[in-house]
Amino acid sequence: MKMISIKKSDWAGAMEKVQKSYRLAGPVKEKKGHTFRELKDGETPDLEYSETRMSVKEVVLPQSEVMFSYSLDENKEGHHILEEVPFDETPRAAVGIRPYDAKAVEILKKNFMTEDYKDPYFERRYENLTLVGMAENNPSPVNFSTSCGTGPFDESCLDIILADAGDSYIGKALTEKGEKFAAAAGFAEGDSGVEAKLAELKEQAEGKIKSKVSFDKIEKMTILDLYEAPFWEEAAFACINCGTCTYACPTCWCFDIQDEVKGKDGVRMRNWDTCMSEVYSVHTTGHDPRHEAWQRTRNRFMHKLKYYLDKYEDGIMCVGCGRCVSQCPVNIDIRKVCQQMNDYEPSK
Amino acid sequence: MDAYTDKIKEISKKILSEGKVDVVIGFRKGTLGYMSEPYMAKSEKEAENLVFDCNCRMNLVNYVTNRKDKVGIVVKGCDSRNLVTHIIENKIKREQLYIIGVPCTGLADKKALLDLAEGEITSVEDDNETITIKGDGFEKKVAKSDVLQSNCKTCIKRNPVIFDELAGPEVAELEISDRFADVDEVEKMSADERWNFFGELLSECTRCYACRNACPLCYCPTCFVDESRPQWVGKSDNETDVLTYHFLRAFHDAGRCTDCGACEAACPMDIKMRYFTRKTIKDCVEKYGSEAGMELDKRPALDQYKINDPNEFIK
Amino acid sequence: MEFVGLEEDRLHFSWISSAEAVKFADVAKQVAEKVKVLGPNKKFVKRYPTKDTE
Repeated sequence: MKMISIKKSDWAGAMEKVQKSYRLAGPVKEKKGHTFRELKDGETPDLEYSETRMSVKEVVLPQSEVMFSYSLDENKEGHHILEEVPFDETPRAAVGIRPYDAKAVEILKKNFMTEDYKDPYFERRYENLTLVGMAENNPSPVNFSTSCGTGPFDESCLDIILADAGDSYIGKALTEKGEKFAAAAGFAEGDSGVEAKLAELKEQAEGKIKSKVSFDKIEKMTILDLYEAPFWEEAAFACINCGTCTYACPTCWCFDIQDEVKGKDGVRMRNWDTCMSEVYSVHTTGHDPRHEAWQRTRNRFMHKLKYYLDKYEDGIMCVGCGRCVSQCPVNIDIRKVCQQMNDYEPSK
Repeated sequence: MDAYTDKIKEISKKILSEGKVDVVIGFRKGTLGYMSEPYMAKSEKEAENLVFDCNCRMNLVNYVTNRKDKVGIVVKGCDSRNLVTHIIENKIKREQLYIIGVPCTGLADKKALLDLAEGEITSVEDDNETITIKGDGFEKKVAKSDVLQSNCKTCIKRNPVIFDELAGPEVAELEISDRFADVDEVEKMSADERWNFFGELLSECTRCYACRNACPLCYCPTCFVDESRPQWVGKSDNETDVLTYHFLRAFHDAGRCTDCGACEAACPMDIKMRYFTRKTIKDCVEKYGSEAGMELDKRPALDQYKINDPNEFIK
Repeated sequence: MEFVGLEEDRLHFSWISSAEAVKFADVAKQVAEKVKVLGPNKKFVKRYPTKDTE
């Protein structure tokens, strides 16, 4: 494991250097604050940010991704054959993501890369990607990542972790991928004090997180007990069933497949979908198992906090980033719902 | 604002206990200091949770569409105009409603509050003149006029147009000198400038449809963007499809929009999509002399034909 | 339409009876002339994704 220390004044230079061999995505300051997106050549990921509305999900699971194209025009070569869309193999790096967002990528991987099935579109993006984390010294008030098995300094899912130590960024290259990136960027090697400083910053940052959730009792309840709990209609009353929470969520992985055709040429693409929408669950027969708005809201929380928990036995499908809490137009708060679920005592 | 809250609780308990309504739809305190959550009280006990303040940004008329029971509902001036439109469009019957009107001095812009805060906001207090933002280790007082939502600055009807009872004394209506200054600004631009302006405006739209779903006018069983047979519009993040959505939504709301601002307040990306709807409001005012939802016996501007409707665009 | 930035001269409304062949021809000519001046429309035209959309 290599220690890293880089002066803030050298950051832009290092990023310029690394862009010779990597395509970068990262936080960029725009008019309304920082957004997370693919960077153009010469753009520097800005690590001095507090939060980005959208997460690193876009990099491994883009909102819209073309899977293949086709043509039914018999005058064209290769007609009636599905043609793979060219993929840029240049290594990519998501620079400056929060450590808990990296955990979200691992959660996505559970769905897209199982032992039996590997989603080629996700896989090629995932394998190609180096995750360079920026630890969070001042977590936002809605952040509850430490309750979700991760945290503002969680190293477990990153290739590199960096942290703000005043006039320099310090950190560690955690994996081989990370070491390669550090070498390409020419990060200076840090001294032995780095580890101690990181530990100190971590303790401070985690101490600032006041927001907590627990799901220990959810685990022991049956799905049906929770499903039929009486609080759902009330908890979900305010929900307007928009897709804000699902799109902002770094772990929501649902997608919809659509053909877009013009004349005889077309593409098949997949787009983010949201379980909040009625068209998500309606069957071809016209039957909709989640016809009522509150049932769809229940499904989202049940998936995140119960079905996932039972299926993978590895915590909840939430990294505690707090995006859904701060972006929800009607203030539905997953922390409150989780508590409600955990506190529920089914009558025997 | 506490006086409003007390009065709303009092009225709600009364109408619930007397059986005048089955439920009261209002707001309760949110988990975040700058938010209030739409809430349905079913009993006198639950009515104790009701609040009203400058964080009640959603339009509750959105929650009564097609309800079959007797409903008490808390409405601001703009919301009450949507209620009128709802009644005209047979989405709810007047007899089903017990309307608790709130004479409104405007809502606080969420983004403005967050920009002023120096940390976590724990409460936002509003005495109709001053907003006090309290938080973790800070307290700030600002004039309410400085943090108003932009639609509240050009509000033409702060007092409800229809109600059974008011939660407070009527307030003075605003005197607005330049109601459509923002739309005028855009109209002054060249065609190319306008095109670029709207491209930029919508560049961050993720099509979460929070604006549509927060809108009481958008009650179609299946929205045209969700239809798949036929598919009117693509479903990806393609910029033409995004523009088509916003553009057509504004058309559908033309003559009906009351500029309640719920769409913008709901947008997670702070997109100012009211430019579109406000243009339709301006046109309806200028061309037809019509404001949406002011009277129960007046249908929306584009829902009726008059022999003297302006037709200079037909050559 | 013009509000979002499409050129005004691309959209025309006219009321022509089936008996007004001459008016129809005149309007069609006028429309064609005005649109020719503007050239091909580049706005509000969907570009179909044929390759990786990023």
